[in-house]
Amino acid sequence: MAFAEPRMPATPASTVAFAARRPRRVLPGFGLSLGYTILYLSLVVLIPLAAIFLKSGELGWERFGQVVGTPRVVAALELSFGAAALAALVNTFAGLLVAWVLARYDFPLRRLVDALVDLPFALPTAVAGIALTALYSPNGLLGSLLEPLGVKVAYTPLGIVVALVFIGLPFVVRTVQPVLEELDREVEHAAATLGASSGQIFVRIVLPAVWPALLTGFTLAFARAIGEYGSVIFIAGNMPMRSEIAPLLIVTKLEQYEYAAATGIAVVMLLISFFLLLGINALQAWSQRRLLGVAA
Amino acid sequence: MSIAVHSINKRFGEFVALRDVSLEVPTGQLVAILGPSGCGKTTLLRIIAGLDSPDTGRVFLQGREATELPVQQRRVGFVFQHYALFRHMTVFDNVAFGLCVRPRRERPSAAAIRAKVEELLALVQLESAATRHPMHLSGGQRQRVALARALAVEPQLLLLDEPFGALDTQVRQELRRWLRRLHDALHFTSLFVTHDQNEALEVADAVIVMNGGRIEQRGAPEEVYDAPASGFVHRFVGSSQDLPARRTAGLLYVGPMAPVPSAGTDGEVSVVVRPQDVQVNRAGEGWPGVVGAVRVVGPLVHMEIALEGHNGDPLVAEFERERYRADPFLTGQTVCVTLRRYRTYPTDPVG
Amino acid sequence: MSVAAHLPRPARGLGRGFLVALALGYLALFLLLPFGVVFAQALSRGLATYLHALTEPMARSAISLTLTVAAIAVPLNLVFGVVAAWTVTKYDFRGKSALITLIDLPFAVSPVISGLIYVLLFGAHGWFGEWLAAHDVKVIFAVPGIVLATVFVTFPFVARELIPVMQAQGRDEEETALSLGATGWQTFRRVTLPNIRWGLLYGVLLCNARAMGEFGAVSVVSGHIRGLTNTMPLHVEILYNEYNATAAFAVASLLAMLAIVTLAARAALEARAPELKRTGRTTGGHE
Repeated sequence: MAFAEPRMPATPASTVAFAARRPRRVLPGFGLSLGYTILYLSLVVLIPLAAIFLKSGELGWERFGQVVGTPRVVAALELSFGAAALAALVNTFAGLLVAWVLARYDFPLRRLVDALVDLPFALPTAVAGIALTALYSPNGLLGSLLEPLGVKVAYTPLGIVVALVFIGLPFVVRTVQPVLEELDREVEHAAATLGASSGQIFVRIVLPAVWPALLTGFTLAFARAIGEYGSVIFIAGNMPMRSEIAPLLIVTKLEQYEYAAATGIAVVMLLISFFLLLGINALQAWSQRRLLGVAA
Repeated sequence: MSIAVHSINKRFGEFVALRDVSLEVPTGQLVAILGPSGCGKTTLLRIIAGLDSPDTGRVFLQGREATELPVQQRRVGFVFQHYALFRHMTVFDNVAFGLCVRPRRERPSAAAIRAKVEELLALVQLESAATRHPMHLSGGQRQRVALARALAVEPQLLLLDEPFGALDTQVRQELRRWLRRLHDALHFTSLFVTHDQNEALEVADAVIVMNGGRIEQRGAPEEVYDAPASGFVHRFVGSSQDLPARRTAGLLYVGPMAPVPSAGTDGEVSVVVRPQDVQVNRAGEGWPGVVGAVRVVGPLVHMEIALEGHNGDPLVAEFERERYRADPFLTGQTVCVTLRRYRTYPTDPVG
Repeated sequence: MSVAAHLPRPARGLGRGFLVALALGYLALFLLLPFGVVFAQALSRGLATYLHALTEPMARSAISLTLTVAAIAVPLNLVFGVVAAWTVTKYDFRGKSALITLIDLPFAVSPVISGLIYVLLFGAHGWFGEWLAAHDVKVIFAVPGIVLATVFVTFPFVARELIPVMQAQGRDEEETALSLGATGWQTFRRVTLPNIRWGLLYGVLLCNARAMGEFGAVSVVSGHIRGLTNTMPLHVEILYNEYNATAAFAVASLLAMLAIVTLAARAALEARAPELKRTGRTTGGHE
């Protein structure tokens, strides 16, 4: 027999061995790292953000309603969310196309194009704003072509959408592209051997697989576009009730020392954005669970 | 270094990884923990190393309580399943790491470290790979670097998690014999985790069989093979097959075979038999059946027999090839089966 | 009908060419053209005008302020990013996923609001406004406010790049280092840090690009005092609104070059460390 029966230690087992103990972490430094993370997060992000909610709390419900219920504020919020949704939708389709082309086809300068997709992330928004304005203004390169067709882009709500499309493109491409690249091509080949056409394969095999990523990309682009400021204000024309976005209205109110109004608009925008963020996280958790299966 | 583990319990959320596990390993032994994936064997190894902590229970190393001892102070060598080589360091730097991170007072001189690393690289036959990075090595070479790195700190105890799991069959056979020789030459205590029964039976002084977070049996390899403590061990170690049977009034009825005396409670039981213990007769007593597929497996022959009135898989009988050749059976031929050796276990409701 | 008719057409030929052309046309129109316009406009009145726009005192002061702000904000968020990523990938604890969500929070906040919160805290009518005025400390309409707003908007970048990289690397190497006797600090410095160096550099690049290019948040807290609180993006805005478009585009072209350098460095890093490619590509946040 290779094993002796374990000798019990001198201390009574009932008191020591069965006392549940706090899990000990193997890597040292847990308290310090978590403490620093939470402290810095609180100082830079949480406390300042809490301030805005406390400030709006000072207003009271009635005053809050008055502040954010004026036609100008409502129009600005509607414009911000509407233009953001429209731009995100455009980006969903364009992003899927670009992601598909980048993931599946090889063509000259593919890697350069791949890198360029991130341009809107890297280019400061004020630069994008003045560049788009120069392009689409009536005497600009594109504006002068569109003007005879009766299409006005710069200084109209359409200009806002164009700016938001520029800003939001990488989100959809970058969420969908990795999923397309990792998709098991054998599954598509299997579908082909079973007689599916390429259209059927795309709709029934590829689309269901990229659907969660597409939705995530849409939400990210949408969330980003709602609060966008720098690229929009140059091209928007900023006419109250017509082409004035909510972030600009916050700035205007601030410049007029109307802190209550600025805070009220900000709180409405923040709440909607937070729910979007929560939605994204839930979506990602859900699609991850779905991909990993029940066992994980 | 001896290991003693007392009544360890460990859960991860809802999943119970270890249930009341106790074991003792004397100094100098090479012990295998054998079990299917998810049986808790890796968790047990990590708890002994100090990489996980038990919810309850205690760990003793060399007779001293080590339950709360940080991993750095346990002086154990741990080899991960996927080796966990430092990918940004050369082979030399990987092996030297444990010596280089010692406090200045205890750290050997640069020359001494160099000598030690070179000695270890010679031991694992990787002198020529010293300046290479892990990604340029084969699986077997990475495994040997991981071993050399663990040995550099002169551990009293070597713990290996599926040490040969990621290697080709040929390489793993060579490496496991090499590990056995190394163990014998260096006189430490080794504990390794595996799901491969051949590995455990061939290399280890003793085998611990685990299932569902419990230790099912511990003993010398032949003991575990010849006298399994449970139906699980019997089925997991070596190949085996089940036949339904019934025990009534101290007699065991296996199909139409003649009843034999058998101690135990009455009712349904499982008879577990290894293929080499199936006796096939051309006529006479036993369970009649029809010969099915016959396959040559290296020096052995596996013959399937469809037993009369038995709905399960055909029974497999194993012969030595030379002996079978001298007196072969024909597919479709009727034969009678008796069992040379078998063990009975309570019928497992899940199968 | 023959069997061949059921097989998918190979992804060559017309369909593929059409899709590639469509995608490239779209990118050229919506990405490349605006980018090219920056340089075309900047140089439209010749090199001398261009260089003058970049070297006049107000431009020089904007450039130096932008560099200063980035030099403060980026290291702060670098340290935070490393510690935060280490915390959430190397330990298990309750509320971890909530913490990761909170780290991402600044991405969900409009840049204008990011500036607004500091005005509400430190502005003349803010909570600490009177105290600050009494002690003669200026935060809003001064450099500290610009730094704070920039720290806020660039807060998640480094952590966001590192978390997936460190998650993919697991803890085996750290655990091995510990079992070989290394201390926690030695493990971090000799094992963890070298393994994440490319991801770290990547995060710092993005953080820096954003810090230098931030417009909305900085605009709210800056007060646009020329020569004092004017960063490069704000300087671009002022010049543009003064109908000095050529000068505005000249300064903008510097920022556009920063974007190119960032993208090129990113591509180079990805070629070096392919594992980066799968991670954190949607780091873009808000501006």
